[in-house]
Amino acid sequence: MDLNIDKVIDDIKKDNNIFSAGKVIKVNEYNVEVSGLIDVAFYDEVDIAGKAKGYVFAIHPNKVIVSLTEVEDKIMPGDLVYSLNKEYKCLFSIDSIGKVVDIFGNDLIAGKKFNNLIEVSIDGLDIPLMDRTSVERSLLTGISGIDLMYPIGRGQRQLIIGDKKTGKTQICLDTIVNQKDKNVICIYVAIGKTKKEVKEIYYDLTKNGAISYTIVMASFNDELPTKSYLTPYVALSVAEELMLQSFDVLVIVDDLKKHADIYRQISLTSNKVPGRDAYPSDIFYAHARMLEKGCQHKSGGSVTILPIVETKAGDITDYISTNIISITDGQIVLSKKNFDKGLKPAINYGLSVSRLGAAVQSKELSKVGSKLRRELLAYLDVKDIYELSDPSELSPALKESIDRGNKMINDLKQYKYSPKSESEMQTLFSYVERVEKEG
Amino acid sequence: MEVGKIISIFEISVEVVVSDNTIKIGDVLEAVDNSKYRFEVIEITNTTALCISLNSTRGLKKGTIVKKVDDGLKMEYSDALMGRIFDAYGEVLDNKEFKSIKKKFINNSTVSMKDLNVESSMLKTGIKVIDFFAPMQKGFKMGLLGGAGVGKTVLIKELIYNLYNTSKINSIFVGIGERSREGKELYDDIVSSNLLDNMTMVFGQMSKNPVVRSKCVQTGLVAAEYLRDEKKGDVLLFIDNIYRYIQARSEISMELKEMLVGNGYPSSTAAEVSKIEERLSSTKDGTITSFQAIYIPADDYNDDAVQNVVSYMDGQIVLDRHIAELGIYPAIDVFKSTSRLVDKDKIGERHFKLVEETLRYLTRYQELEEIIAVLGIDELSDEDKNIFHRSRKLRYYFSQPLHVSEQFTNIKGEYVELEDVLNDVENILNGTYDNVDEKEFFYIGKYNAH
Repeated sequence: MDLNIDKVIDDIKKDNNIFSAGKVIKVNEYNVEVSGLIDVAFYDEVDIAGKAKGYVFAIHPNKVIVSLTEVEDKIMPGDLVYSLNKEYKCLFSIDSIGKVVDIFGNDLIAGKKFNNLIEVSIDGLDIPLMDRTSVERSLLTGISGIDLMYPIGRGQRQLIIGDKKTGKTQICLDTIVNQKDKNVICIYVAIGKTKKEVKEIYYDLTKNGAISYTIVMASFNDELPTKSYLTPYVALSVAEELMLQSFDVLVIVDDLKKHADIYRQISLTSNKVPGRDAYPSDIFYAHARMLEKGCQHKSGGSVTILPIVETKAGDITDYISTNIISITDGQIVLSKKNFDKGLKPAINYGLSVSRLGAAVQSKELSKVGSKLRRELLAYLDVKDIYELSDPSELSPALKESIDRGNKMINDLKQYKYSPKSESEMQTLFSYVERVEKEG
Repeated sequence: MEVGKIISIFEISVEVVVSDNTIKIGDVLEAVDNSKYRFEVIEITNTTALCISLNSTRGLKKGTIVKKVDDGLKMEYSDALMGRIFDAYGEVLDNKEFKSIKKKFINNSTVSMKDLNVESSMLKTGIKVIDFFAPMQKGFKMGLLGGAGVGKTVLIKELIYNLYNTSKINSIFVGIGERSREGKELYDDIVSSNLLDNMTMVFGQMSKNPVVRSKCVQTGLVAAEYLRDEKKGDVLLFIDNIYRYIQARSEISMELKEMLVGNGYPSSTAAEVSKIEERLSSTKDGTITSFQAIYIPADDYNDDAVQNVVSYMDGQIVLDRHIAELGIYPAIDVFKSTSRLVDKDKIGERHFKLVEETLRYLTRYQELEEIIAVLGIDELSDEDKNIFHRSRKLRYYFSQPLHVSEQFTNIKGEYVELEDVLNDVENILNGTYDNVDEKEFFYIGKYNAH
């Protein structure tokens, strides 16, 4: 690959290849306008005077817009621009497992580039409809509130949504930790997070023995927005590649609200017409094509995605949240109120949904789970009506069902990094089934 | 025939300098050196043609020579389309041999007033809440509205199960901008129950670019029109989901730098929708009955695009998040769900009265809920207590075990006759079931008194 660049640049210097060269005519933070570059294709990689890299984002009759992905030095008007005559790709090394990396093949903890890099295309073709098979193998989180009532299967996309500080990331980390010895490769994608947050996550995963099968792919809030925008696509391309080799992969995308905001920022500076809430009209497509990489493939491999969305004041009906809910196969909604009450994980059992349900659960788990969910929701509904009533006046049956509801709520509490096995969950909630039989 | 050269390239559009002035709007162009790159002409001047790209433009070189390959996009128009699955451009997806017999342009015209037929017979769905509150008639357009994740697709699947699987009436399923997983699972389900023979499926799922998504509804319409006009029969058309069509059109408009109006929709939304909906009409040859899922963005029922589509519907079923939150599925808001048939002359006095009375009870129930939140249930008058408890029974009664959600509920799905629904509702309202616990009505078909 490096040979190719040298040859192209050499050619340009010798004036053998003037069609692949151009000059910068306008620069802003994320884009440059280039004149020349006659022989260029859409999405080609370009190099700007050795100072920066980017890809062709739009081709006009007399100019080319280049989106910048890496900038090392200040770009000036008049700088020479070379097209490398190949599709823009990011870099990845299989040694990334157990490391914190970025999309350019850097090992961020060691502070150096890997030396066995391969190219991954960003956001390539979609997975053909007919290559998908049904999602039916379970991916256990070890959290009884999820595995029993809102189960996740390999190849499913399950959204984790809630306000700040409600334990969204924690649920994902718990899930990663619970994949130990289960032959799942995990990729944690950080979008525009702080370096401190990412390092803490890395330490947490290390402490819990989960880093040996996990890649942390990060972009930080002080980097170019284009990089943060591209990071989840690259992570999912890597995941897709592994899936095609029959691996099971779990990808955490933390978080898509940030991603949407970054995409809005880029779109508005590139003069795209804003739509609802000033997001560009194709924001749905931007997320849909990313999350559609999650699937059970006919090769036997799968990509499971847990995207995270941060909400404000518990409102899951805003534009971005509903967009993503309409893409994913279900959602785990976290409630600030439950969190403050100490009911952790702070799942809102009414609003959470799994669209795959028992299809991805063992028979035993689904038997307990579906009854637990029905009882719990009926209890939450009744609770409000009789909250003001005198307990001594309630019928014994009603009183018992309220007591049982309280017990269920209590038994669903679970501390972080303390996963339960399937049989532990079954035993813990076996009373739900017993009562129903008697009744 | 070479017709020009590409001079500008964007994500989903290109501009061509034309060397041939016979190019028309709607023509299909193709790169001479690579058939992967295909374009549809949407605007022409003396010297240039603006085209939308049917596939990704990635890797397309400036200066590429293009040729004209067709006068427009086409879809199969013969019996060969039965039992097959197509993409938005009318290509088969199932990797089986396909011999094209006769094709037709996908941009067909609408039905004239002369040919339009509005009379027809009632169509029962076996879903209690639909048959009761929003009864269907052959040739109706029924909108299934709902925000994200409240059960539109499940309802569409149940309708396919109840209407298509039992009657095997010729059907078309058009998947627009929805999940690929669900599309494939629906296909697998139908194949494994050997029901594909009378079904044609067209998919342009959410992983596809907006051009694909916007074209697939027209492609599906050609199939429906074939069954109506050539086979002279009734057709069921399931569209999941028509909002995605408008959304895809908005994305294309944005790429073309058109001026967008409120919430990012193009000003031509109403015209675009009418081009689709007016084609879905019944004639003397046959009826097209359609069920169209309509996504409500950001739970905003008054969204322009949603209201635009709804205005063409003969009936609507509205799904509500608050009801879903209570675990009652299908999570239908009975106050907003109705159809043109809800009229004394059309469904009969008994049914009509029961609907009115049920709505009166449920309206009062909502008021009572607020009173209870403040005063507690003990403070209600006896009459209000009756209304409160009976309404809760009604609310639970309108949940239903569906065939397609057996995997969530672990309860066997049921088809319920309208007559049974009317009897049960009558008995709940007149107090016959006052001593029955409300949970007895949860997830049942018809009520069997012990």
